[in-house]
Amino acid sequence: MARRYDSHTTTFSPEGRLYQVEYAIEAISHAGAAVGLRTSEGVVLAAEKKILSKLLETSVASEKMCKLDDHVAVAVAGINSDANLLINSARLFAQRYTAGYSEPVPIEQLVHHLCDQKQGYTQFGGLRPFGVSFLFAGWDKSSGFQLYQSDPSGNYAGWTATAIGANNQAAQAVLKSEYAPNMSLNAARKLAVKVLKQTMDSTILMPDKVEMCEVACAYEVPSEKHIRFRMASDKELEELCGLANSATLPTS
Amino acid sequence: TRYTTTCTARAGGAAPESERVTKMSIMSYNGAAIIAMCGKECVAIASDLRFGINQQQTTAVDMKKIYKIHDHLYVGLSGLATDQATLAQRFKFRHNMYELRESRKMRPETFANLVSTMLYEKRFGPYYAEPIVAGLDASNGYKPFITGMDLIGAMAPTDNFVVCGNNEESLFGVCESMYKPDLEPEELFEVIAQCILAGVNRDCLSGWGGVVHVISKDKVITRTLKGRMD
Repeated sequence: MARRYDSHTTTFSPEGRLYQVEYAIEAISHAGAAVGLRTSEGVVLAAEKKILSKLLETSVASEKMCKLDDHVAVAVAGINSDANLLINSARLFAQRYTAGYSEPVPIEQLVHHLCDQKQGYTQFGGLRPFGVSFLFAGWDKSSGFQLYQSDPSGNYAGWTATAIGANNQAAQAVLKSEYAPNMSLNAARKLAVKVLKQTMDSTILMPDKVEMCEVACAYEVPSEKHIRFRMASDKELEELCGLANSATLPTS
Repeated sequence: TRYTTTCTARAGGAAPESERVTKMSIMSYNGAAIIAMCGKECVAIASDLRFGINQQQTTAVDMKKIYKIHDHLYVGLSGLATDQATLAQRFKFRHNMYELRESRKMRPETFANLVSTMLYEKRFGPYYAEPIVAGLDASNGYKPFITGMDLIGAMAPTDNFVVCGNNEESLFGVCESMYKPDLEPEELFEVIAQCILAGVNRDCLSGWGGVVHVISKDKVITRTLKGRMD
């Protein structure tokens, strides 16, 4: 029985492609953009919110950003309900690791585990792949601050700066020219918002369209105890959007 | 509580080759003493620091038995040290997951119920640990909350004090005589410190110093006590 489903979802095409996976990636290219930058002081994630309504309760969980553990967070691009499942699985993995080893989970292990799950849905079960790409931002003792990107195929890679979602090629182009590895966290925040502005449709960036978070350390030398995940406040977003907007205002 | 298990122990005056079988409660294998008290808008939780093996050897004098779950919630565990440490890890796990999903920290009462459930899940093969939960309920004006429970999760919440450990009778005795309701944090510290130090004196399995956490709305003061090192 399962064979019939398999031939529709998880088998190769004659050209050697996995169509379902490519369709999943295509689905994400319509989702709100998310951009991540890594600095020596922390990793910043910024994202464009797609669901905007005055009726929406914004005080409850965020649309794009999620904390996985004290030292690691994700930005989501794609189908949110798919993302929720994976996020829960990631949180459990992180906690099980901590319960067993009494230390925070190393970021790559967490990413790897999640990607193995995603890969499973491209190879067996007859189920469609997850329509989610993630940007993981985190810190661990052995590798410091890290930024990873994963996609529905289950592939992942570490980046210094990258973007997912709508117009991510444009965002990547801006990052390529303007990102510098020795940037300060402050400069990274500004650049993240600037990149978002350039990938979004509108000419003026409204703060309520943006979400930002960071995994950083309050002290110069990061240590397990002082790594904190933090969502940007409304005030911060207003300032950053103001800066991004004024930078490209035409002089009369 | 006495949960007996058959242990082999070498008695002092016996012939070297012979081994005598004696019955010892598994709860007395390592040794512990824990007290929690309610004060005025504060709670205090104290424990001894001894870690022994097979009752007779003292192996460490800085053994942690009270674990922080969050700023206003502490849990102390007595009984078998390995179960106590494992349970503390499991509690942290569950609380972390709760905090991630709820975007808030657990209330002490909720946590106590979680502890009770987790212990009862192992009703017919229990963890040999008896916990004490102490905290302030941030959602209810930082009202103090303490409860003790047995190793299968029977809760006994109260508004004065709870004790657990090897020498419960002694701990109950000192607390009954020294406790007063509505003590300020500093007074509460004095009372609980004296109680833990006095209470462990008659018990060879607990003692070797103590640690006290006094939890108030805006701060937690942790002090280590110097007691009789025997």
